[in-house]
Amino acid sequence: MNQAIRDKAKELLASGAVSCVIGYDVGSDGINARPFFAYTEEEADGLAFDQTCTHNLVKYLIDRAGKATAIVVKPCDARALTVLINEKQVKREEVFIIGAVCHGIIESTWGQKGSDLQGRCQTCTQHTPLVYDLLVGEPMAEPTPKAPLDHRAATLANMSVAERAAFWAEQFQRCLRCNACRQVCPGCYCAECFVDQLDPEWVGIRIDLPEKWLWNTIRAFHLAGRCVGCDECQRVCPVNIPLGLLNHKLEEEVATLFDFRPGVKADVPAPLETFKKDEKLGIGE
Amino acid sequence: MSQLISRSDLTAWINALLAEYTVIAPTKVDSLALYQPVKRADDIFMDFGITALSPKEWLFPPTETLFTITTQDGTMKLEAPPLDGKNLIFAIRPCDARGFRLLDKVFLAPPADTHYAQRRQNTTLIGLACSKALPQCFCTSVGGAPNDASDVDVLLTEVEEGYLVNIVTEKGQAAVAQAKLIEKDVTPPSPPNLKPVSTEGIVEATLRAYNDDYWERLADRCTHCNVCAFVCPACYCFDVRDHINQGKTERLRCWDSCQAPGFTRVAGGYTPRPTKGARLRQRFGHKLLYYPQQYGDLLCVGCGRCIASCPVNIDIREVMEDLQKLGVKSVSARA
Repeated sequence: MNQAIRDKAKELLASGAVSCVIGYDVGSDGINARPFFAYTEEEADGLAFDQTCTHNLVKYLIDRAGKATAIVVKPCDARALTVLINEKQVKREEVFIIGAVCHGIIESTWGQKGSDLQGRCQTCTQHTPLVYDLLVGEPMAEPTPKAPLDHRAATLANMSVAERAAFWAEQFQRCLRCNACRQVCPGCYCAECFVDQLDPEWVGIRIDLPEKWLWNTIRAFHLAGRCVGCDECQRVCPVNIPLGLLNHKLEEEVATLFDFRPGVKADVPAPLETFKKDEKLGIGE
Repeated sequence: MSQLISRSDLTAWINALLAEYTVIAPTKVDSLALYQPVKRADDIFMDFGITALSPKEWLFPPTETLFTITTQDGTMKLEAPPLDGKNLIFAIRPCDARGFRLLDKVFLAPPADTHYAQRRQNTTLIGLACSKALPQCFCTSVGGAPNDASDVDVLLTEVEEGYLVNIVTEKGQAAVAQAKLIEKDVTPPSPPNLKPVSTEGIVEATLRAYNDDYWERLADRCTHCNVCAFVCPACYCFDVRDHINQGKTERLRCWDSCQAPGFTRVAGGYTPRPTKGARLRQRFGHKLLYYPQQYGDLLCVGCGRCIASCPVNIDIREVMEDLQKLGVKSVSARA
């Protein structure tokens, strides 16, 4: 698999088809992968793919607009890429997609080798990316989910509104407003995020519960129908706020209301980007 | 002879401290260890390797009111916020305590920052020596040590019989007044060994690399979140803004970071650090060049939090190594 990625990367760089290949190499702990940008054939030898390649790299493509780029994607990343292409943030013709067959990503922390699959991967039913120009790895039969969603999702669903509010207040209280969730999210690419706007100032600079609450909930709403569930926000959160729970909940709502899963089909806009006169959602009825 | 406190007497001592101080100690919050105020000794989680966040927030809070202005009947009233009471940070790691030494140089240099100075004076630091090193630890390479007592008021070291109590300052003396200490001949355990990182010539190397492509290449993968700055015990950048609500104006100071694109944006929209590389260079420039030039020490305590928390593995040890090689021979950034 590594060799196939490296060979294709070298070929694309040598021919000038792309000027950069975005993939993974091994991080400074010698265990976990990290994003890697290869600009030369020599650098392409550093590319690698394994079950620690957790990062969703497609957001890097936005900064490379106008420059032909090859990118290594997992099935979830490929869906995020489709979202970005649908939303006109990335041009399909500028990207060479190296799709990697994915056996799930291992839950691990820096400096430690993990063994269990990440929660999102335990329920994932897609091992092969839906879009690619080159597929690497042996395609395999798509699995049925092995485990239920995060047990907290079920617990939350059974809570009263007040109990749920208390749960989130406790979680959001820890938020540092470091914006890591936004910075890694492929769906968060606004040139000026609402939280940074000064005029009008939607959210002040206070790092306090009302602002934390507003930030996390508005961000979740902005992602409704657009989040592919890569859980990068949750992974990078330095204080372990289970943001995936919010996103997954909204995705289920969107799926129920609109029969829509983001990033599955090209050229199908997200439900909240469209308005259909005949849509009846039972809201306010 | 050393002074020793047994485990049960330690509990009694902490419970006694609670009457006099707000005790801030490592606690377990979900899967994290965080410094939080505790209500009783049992709330303290002693088996933490390192907390997710440094305790700097207890001297330099994420949000603080500098002053308020209220207008009533045409008169303006300017008020300072109420003072915090006496705080005691229990089980602070030597590296985190060293972080306060680095913050002191900035906040206590005349004219001293009133808010920081007041908190600093009212805070007692009870250190806990590290019995093991984590893979990201490198305090010994940046002037610290796992058993360094120089920045705490009391240093505790865990031994079989309890904890050795090394009283360092008068503040520490006052804090242990109610502790039942016994004299005993106990050899302190040897501190854990840490893998050294070379910092030789790093200030010059960072200056030499100022215009190098290295920064843009390193910034390729940087996501420009504020995680590294917010988890760092030595980062101290902030933003100040007035918050006006129903006739009351509050001047706020909140954490900020040089990695945020808006950090250096000025009126009219100009940003002197427009690229990701320029912002990343600022981070390492501040730690390895500007601060050392002004104050002597590197602006890093080797706690390794930024290394373990960085979403894309930007590792300051690797950066230092790369900078030392730059200019000596061409090095390709590990971007």
